[in-house]
Amino acid sequence: MLAYIMRRLGILLVILFGSSFILFNLAAISGDPLADLRISKDPNAKQQMAVLIRDLHLNVPPPIRYFLWLKGILGGLVGNLDFGKARDGQLVSTSIASAIPVTLRLISMATFTAIILGITIGIVTALRQYSRFDYAMTFVSFLLFSLPIFWVAVLLKEFMAIQFNNFLREPTVAPPWLIGLSLFSGIFWSAVIGGTRKRVWIVFGFAASISAALLTFLSLSKWFLNPGFGPITLLLIYIGVAFGVTQLSVGLNSRAALKSSLTMAALGIVFYFPVQKIFMAENKLLFFPLLVLVTIGLAVGVSFIFAKIDRGPTIRTTVISAAIMGLLMIIDKLMHTWKPYMENDAINARPVPTIGQTNALLEPGNYWLSTLDIVMHLILPTIALTAISFAGYIRYSRGTLLEVLNQDYIRTARAKGLTERTVIMRHAFRNTLIPLTTIIVVDIAGIVGGAIITERVFGWRGMGTLFNDAINRFDLNLLMGVFFLTASLAVLANLVADLLYSALDPRIRVNTQ
Amino acid sequence: MTKSRVLRGAIAALAATGLVTGAIMAPAKAATRTTVVIVESNAFTSLNPSQADSNLVINSDIAYLTSMGFNYYNDKFQLVRNTKFGTYKIVSQSPFKVEWHINPGRVWSDGTPITAHDLLINQMTASSAYSKAAGLGDPANTDVTPAFNSLGYTGLYDTQVTNVSITPDRLGVVITYKSVNPDYELIGPSVFPVHTLVALAAGEKKLGTPSHNVALKNKFLTAYTTKDTATLKKYGKIWSESYLMTSVDAKTNPLLLVGNGAYQVDSAVKDQRVTLVLNPRYNSGEPTSGITKIVMNTITDGPAGIQALANGEVDVWAGQATADGKAALSKIAGVTVKGYATLSYEHTDVRMGDGPGEKDNYTGIFAPGTTAASQAKAKDLRTAYFLAFPREEIVEKVWKPIGEASAPWDSLNYPPSSPNYAKIIAANGTAMYREGTQASRTADALALVKKYYPTTSAANPTVKLKILWGQPSNTRRISEAAIIKAGLAKAGFDADLTPTTNWSAFISQNKWDAMFGGYGISAVLQKGLTDTWQSGIGQDMGYSNDKVDAAVLALSGAKLSDEKVYANYLTVEKEVYGDAATMNITMWPGVSAAVNTLQNFKPSPLTPEVLWNFWEWKF
Repeated sequence: MLAYIMRRLGILLVILFGSSFILFNLAAISGDPLADLRISKDPNAKQQMAVLIRDLHLNVPPPIRYFLWLKGILGGLVGNLDFGKARDGQLVSTSIASAIPVTLRLISMATFTAIILGITIGIVTALRQYSRFDYAMTFVSFLLFSLPIFWVAVLLKEFMAIQFNNFLREPTVAPPWLIGLSLFSGIFWSAVIGGTRKRVWIVFGFAASISAALLTFLSLSKWFLNPGFGPITLLLIYIGVAFGVTQLSVGLNSRAALKSSLTMAALGIVFYFPVQKIFMAENKLLFFPLLVLVTIGLAVGVSFIFAKIDRGPTIRTTVISAAIMGLLMIIDKLMHTWKPYMENDAINARPVPTIGQTNALLEPGNYWLSTLDIVMHLILPTIALTAISFAGYIRYSRGTLLEVLNQDYIRTARAKGLTERTVIMRHAFRNTLIPLTTIIVVDIAGIVGGAIITERVFGWRGMGTLFNDAINRFDLNLLMGVFFLTASLAVLANLVADLLYSALDPRIRVNTQ
Repeated sequence: MTKSRVLRGAIAALAATGLVTGAIMAPAKAATRTTVVIVESNAFTSLNPSQADSNLVINSDIAYLTSMGFNYYNDKFQLVRNTKFGTYKIVSQSPFKVEWHINPGRVWSDGTPITAHDLLINQMTASSAYSKAAGLGDPANTDVTPAFNSLGYTGLYDTQVTNVSITPDRLGVVITYKSVNPDYELIGPSVFPVHTLVALAAGEKKLGTPSHNVALKNKFLTAYTTKDTATLKKYGKIWSESYLMTSVDAKTNPLLLVGNGAYQVDSAVKDQRVTLVLNPRYNSGEPTSGITKIVMNTITDGPAGIQALANGEVDVWAGQATADGKAALSKIAGVTVKGYATLSYEHTDVRMGDGPGEKDNYTGIFAPGTTAASQAKAKDLRTAYFLAFPREEIVEKVWKPIGEASAPWDSLNYPPSSPNYAKIIAANGTAMYREGTQASRTADALALVKKYYPTTSAANPTVKLKILWGQPSNTRRISEAAIIKAGLAKAGFDADLTPTTNWSAFISQNKWDAMFGGYGISAVLQKGLTDTWQSGIGQDMGYSNDKVDAAVLALSGAKLSDEKVYANYLTVEKEVYGDAATMNITMWPGVSAAVNTLQNFKPSPLTPEVLWNFWEWKF
């Protein structure tokens, strides 16, 4: 095992060396960093050229200049890593260090949403193979997958920001929208739930009329100006969560799990008002982790009361339910922050932004306003990135689950009389996750590479922007810095994925020779 | 700090009272805004834009808001004197001396009076002679960085200024220039808070008292006059390195933020924005009209900036003009879009001789050769090229969608808005490019070409022509190239229009017969653009004409009357057009936009474009 890892690492170094040498030289001969200055009428052009030649060693031929660069990288071995200076005079390492958090914030959210959403839809489509829902989701996901992101971004900004903000001036849902959204909801739910023709129509009718009623209520009550669940709605949602999580996790037959989840739902409402106080507490660094610990502690305690034997599954179920409920409570709090947020001078009643990471004029100091501000700035890029990337996860999880469902042990499981829930969730779903793990690992490593176009259109300056700037300005040091980091992570992620695969799937062993 | 905060608070309170009164009188609700958010396409990197690395638009814009000098350009290309700050006048013609004098009582944002000491910085940042004499390094030597790592050393100040002396009242300097210079107003001293340099070099972290700062100023003056290399090098290190920053917060040394402009940097978030607030002690220029805060938001993507404007996230948009951008801006309700001609322009030149420093000789179809017959042939072919050049179609299809007023430009110096424009185009020999229709001009061109290449025709063009152009990513140029190829083919030219990245590096090479591209201008000088046609190293296309050289020389000497300037311009244009050396296509249209509640938004084609009259802005 150790020998295998060492050998792989050795190969990685060779790959990194080779690729960086090729890229460095290709980049160096592809453009002239002094092009702008050569035609400039600026009286200082000659001076600027001299400075650049001096700083960037432009008088050294690229293959040799590469080793000057490599010397800085190898300095890392003795704790003196030097990526050199970019053309704007900043150290490349400084630029990268400040770009990484931006990129992580932008893309992690979208990647995780895409993974969760993609896998969920993939599984549902696999279970409803060749149904209308399957075809519809396949069509929609591929449609989104093939859309150019800059265009998606422009449309999102136009309709979900500019138009939605205009809508908020007089937040009444117009009848065509009302009818359209209700019909869509009806079609969606009837396709997901499926069944006989009669059942499809019943589901369609229910979903459409409930949506219509809900939208009318939200519209008439000006809910969009002052949204929020409130304790009663929240209780209903909590009960739904308790049933849903229990069904997926252990099945509704497990009375202990259901009872403890429902107890958590009740506790959530009982503590609703005290928690609101804690949300407003001054010392958030102390109270928030405490709140999380107390919630988990409560969930475990409640499970202990209800479950006498085989406590594990019950505890798991209750903790998951509690976590979702906690998240809903935070969302509720953010919704209640919406009204003051909109009324803030900096927001000026246009809460959905199209650009940037935070509002330039919002005074810092109010934790919830700032949090909502960050969330609002994340919404559009996250939707855009999720929309174009979740198709892959749908296809992978759908394909894998279908393959697993055809395995002999699934037939055996069904033959033993296990419930369909147990067969799918415990036998099939877990094995579906093994191949997905490797894809996810590589994708997560790819996050650091940034998203050139998304960052640009949403005005976030992360790794993608650095890379783009480096190419446009023929900024070799910056380009190589970004490349070196992303390339190293990519090859490392592949190694980790291989190791993880063998750890998860006992049938696979890494080659130790 | 506390003091300035109290002051700032008082001003805010006063402003608020004023606004409340205003609100009672005026029914408009929007009158309460006092913040302007501006789109910038770069990210902030330095408070000192006078270095090669930091010479970015956003850094220069910040410098424009935070420091005031003797003059500025308005939106009509005129250099306006800032008499609130100081005055200047010629005190001697021979030798040519100008006295630059600061009005008494001007102060820096820390309360220190502005004096002659503060006008000496150019000696270190723009004078090679002083830099060498003081042992600060020879800026011409590319192997060693000078102590003040400035990009000013090859500017006019370096070649023109021979001596600087302080006036007895210590509020001004008298600068001696090498010769009478018509554009001396552009070669004045910049103002810089030298006491902060001394304080920073001594490791100080707080703003000093005015009396302490005056002592520091004298310390600077001593180092300057005695050319104290070691001390000046310390100042140089501060000047070159300490102002490089990407964020500004409470930890930033306040000494770095001292300025004499209307605004001062309050905070900067790396890669996102810079916030400037009023400088309560500002008295170096026109008083501001009610904007208390200016935020520069970095948005690199043009369309994204336009949508941010549509969504009310920014108030002012300025950026590269495109047809789509123009169309998108025009559709936004509540936004004023301003179109104007910039001073940059699109043009096409033909090769007239060997490029400077080229080893081979130019042998293409425009090569003049040595005999009279070969020279006549080359000129006919060049004339044919310009006659057939589909300039109107390019302007119509490529430039009009961006700026409706775009039109072919037929002068080398006067913009179409100039009162002299009509006069000069009637006399400079460009009439033949306007007479008749493009079809008739192309027919004339084909006849000229057929004189030497009888077999060529519009259907089967055979006269090979290599045209240099660049930036294949620029869609405007791609459209132009297609139009040019089709247009020239009708006159029998088979133009090779393969685009070249890096094209500028090839501009002097002899393998090209012609080129088309843009030209950017940042200052208005008496010689206009005539020196583009001066013989020698700057003339990439190998043009050389004694009459032109003489006229350029005359324009570079003493300040001339408008008539004399016109006469010299005409000489140059007559010669250059007469030699069939060039044709200008059009001036680039510029587009900026602002919410229409922002008053006095009058973008200028010259840097700092939209910001030039920030003090007149109000909601």
